[in-house]
Amino acid sequence: MAKEFKPSVVTANDLIEGDSVFLGALGWVRDIAEARVALSRDEAEVLEADGVAGEDANIVVGPYLIEVSVATGRPVPVLRRERIRVSGVPTIPFGVAAPAERRAA
Amino acid sequence: MYRYDEFDRRFVDERVAEFRDQVERRLTGALNEAEFKPLRLMNGLYLQLHAYMLRVAIPYGTLNGRQMRMLAHIAETWDKGYGHFTTRQNIQYNWPKLKDVPDILEALATVEMHAIQTSGNCIRNITSDPFAGVAPEEIEDPRITAELLRQWSSLHPEFTYLGRKFKFAVTGSEHDRAAIKVHDIGIQIVRGEAGEVGYRVLVGGGMGRTPMIAKELRAFLPKADLLPYVEAILRVYNLHGRRDNKYKARIKILVHETGIDAFRDQVEREFATMDRAAVTAPEGEMERIAAYFAPPELTEKPSAPVAFERMKTLDPDFAQWVERNTSAHRVPGYVAATISLKPIGGVPGDATAEQMRAMADLAESYSVDEMRITHEQNVVLPHVALGDLYKVYRGLAAIGLEAPNKGLVTDIIACPGLDYCALATARSIPVAQAISKRFASNKRQREIGPLSIKISGCINACGHHHIGHIGILGLDKAGVENYQITLGGESTEDAALGQRLGPGFGYDELPDVIEKIVDIYLDLRQGRRETFLQTYRRVGMEPFKEALYATAD
Repeated sequence: MAKEFKPSVVTANDLIEGDSVFLGALGWVRDIAEARVALSRDEAEVLEADGVAGEDANIVVGPYLIEVSVATGRPVPVLRRERIRVSGVPTIPFGVAAPAERRAA
Repeated sequence: MYRYDEFDRRFVDERVAEFRDQVERRLTGALNEAEFKPLRLMNGLYLQLHAYMLRVAIPYGTLNGRQMRMLAHIAETWDKGYGHFTTRQNIQYNWPKLKDVPDILEALATVEMHAIQTSGNCIRNITSDPFAGVAPEEIEDPRITAELLRQWSSLHPEFTYLGRKFKFAVTGSEHDRAAIKVHDIGIQIVRGEAGEVGYRVLVGGGMGRTPMIAKELRAFLPKADLLPYVEAILRVYNLHGRRDNKYKARIKILVHETGIDAFRDQVEREFATMDRAAVTAPEGEMERIAAYFAPPELTEKPSAPVAFERMKTLDPDFAQWVERNTSAHRVPGYVAATISLKPIGGVPGDATAEQMRAMADLAESYSVDEMRITHEQNVVLPHVALGDLYKVYRGLAAIGLEAPNKGLVTDIIACPGLDYCALATARSIPVAQAISKRFASNKRQREIGPLSIKISGCINACGHHHIGHIGILGLDKAGVENYQITLGGESTEDAALGQRLGPGFGYDELPDVIEKIVDIYLDLRQGRRETFLQTYRRVGMEPFKEALYATAD
């Protein structure tokens, strides 16, 4: 039996900056809230093809579909990995913030 | 100290110019990602979860103050102000932008550093003992051999496109601090029957999804035969190693499937028939390299200077740090001091630019301008006079790096895990932090004694979990992080792979589970001198299994 379809968005890494981007209505965006959400398999296919076009145009690297929940209106990835990617940073204080936080603790 | 020769300088400068051109062509679209990816990997540039990641080589983990300052400068100029020291004695930057990478490489080249052979299916940067040239029991500085291998392997036309990555480690001491038994080729400098120096050669070790302890290929190899012999090994691997399945492409699989005796026959046959003279290092080359690693001229000093002894009495924290974090030096009156990059609750292996500069200052003032990065993600000041040790300690305390925990339960190795890595299946760093906080008390850590915890966020085992006394492997189980525990792993000459305890545990359960394992050990040990590993080897897995899973039945 085919897997149940879940709403999806296309994500990739920006070619120059390397950070996570999402395919929006007018191009690649950094806020997943502005991402185009595919609500059917057909829409997902179109979205995926548009993502590949972004790679072909040397705007992004490695586009792929991720499943999202749209219960709150804002797409939230189903997988933890993708939720961490969407946040744009590690789940822990890092770099110069890390030792400072430890000293305060 | 190690330095480039003129050839190396030209080679690195040319590589930087070449990569700058490749990046420009990528940005203009003349190269697509499929074409560019192998080129960027040859220059240490990965694409990770949140950003590009640049892995910079620190050959044999050795660097001077000027080089460390450049690492700090790069962190501040092109990254987010910090770097991550890795289990292969390298440093990784987590946030570089593609357009900046040629500038970063150019900056590195000004201090004789680069990112070559830190990635891709080539012979990777060779790792070694962080106490090379320091340890009293050492036969010979292993970095001389490692550098010879580096010169042989860089741009080797036959071995630039291997079936898979290939890792060497070299130790000059019987006590193995370079984990040679979990490398594709492990080399131990030994003495022959007549006292002559040569090599014991091991092959087929590794971690990852199919961990193996290396097997002995040659008990004694004359020194002059090293390059032809490893070339013979690489040729057999290159010819017969699998290329159809990347998970079976490492030499450990070939050695395992061929059998060590048949594999040895193939290597010896190749070695016997090849043109050895064409590969052997020219006469005098080893001596030339050895001069680059000539030990610093240190004047013998008192082994217990009065001021040093007094400070130990006045400052018990200092005394604890000395006891845990300093190691014997071949010159009386000196020690090698380990700077733990594992402050309680910290990110294992991370250092900020400020901390890097402070370490560079300390190295320049008190360690003959030398540092070493260890595969345990710490930094060593290799030549510190006892009389200077308190100043070093105070300097480290000023930057929060005075943890007296080398080799103790909070000296945790952890890969970047799902917080950074595109391959990871679970987080590693917060797990390390939670365990570190649980065992924060110095008194408790010292009571527990030597215990290594190593954490990997996926089956690729960058966090060396297979060889941790307690290994933790993070997996994804139906969308939930799940951690498998192994016990009894070891990285030294006594190397062993950890055995799986049983079903995995949830993220939140881990500190309790680790604490329980430690408590069982404390209950079972026969006196304070019996280490966790010794107790485990004596009692086996059962008592731990029983205590951890009994209530779950």
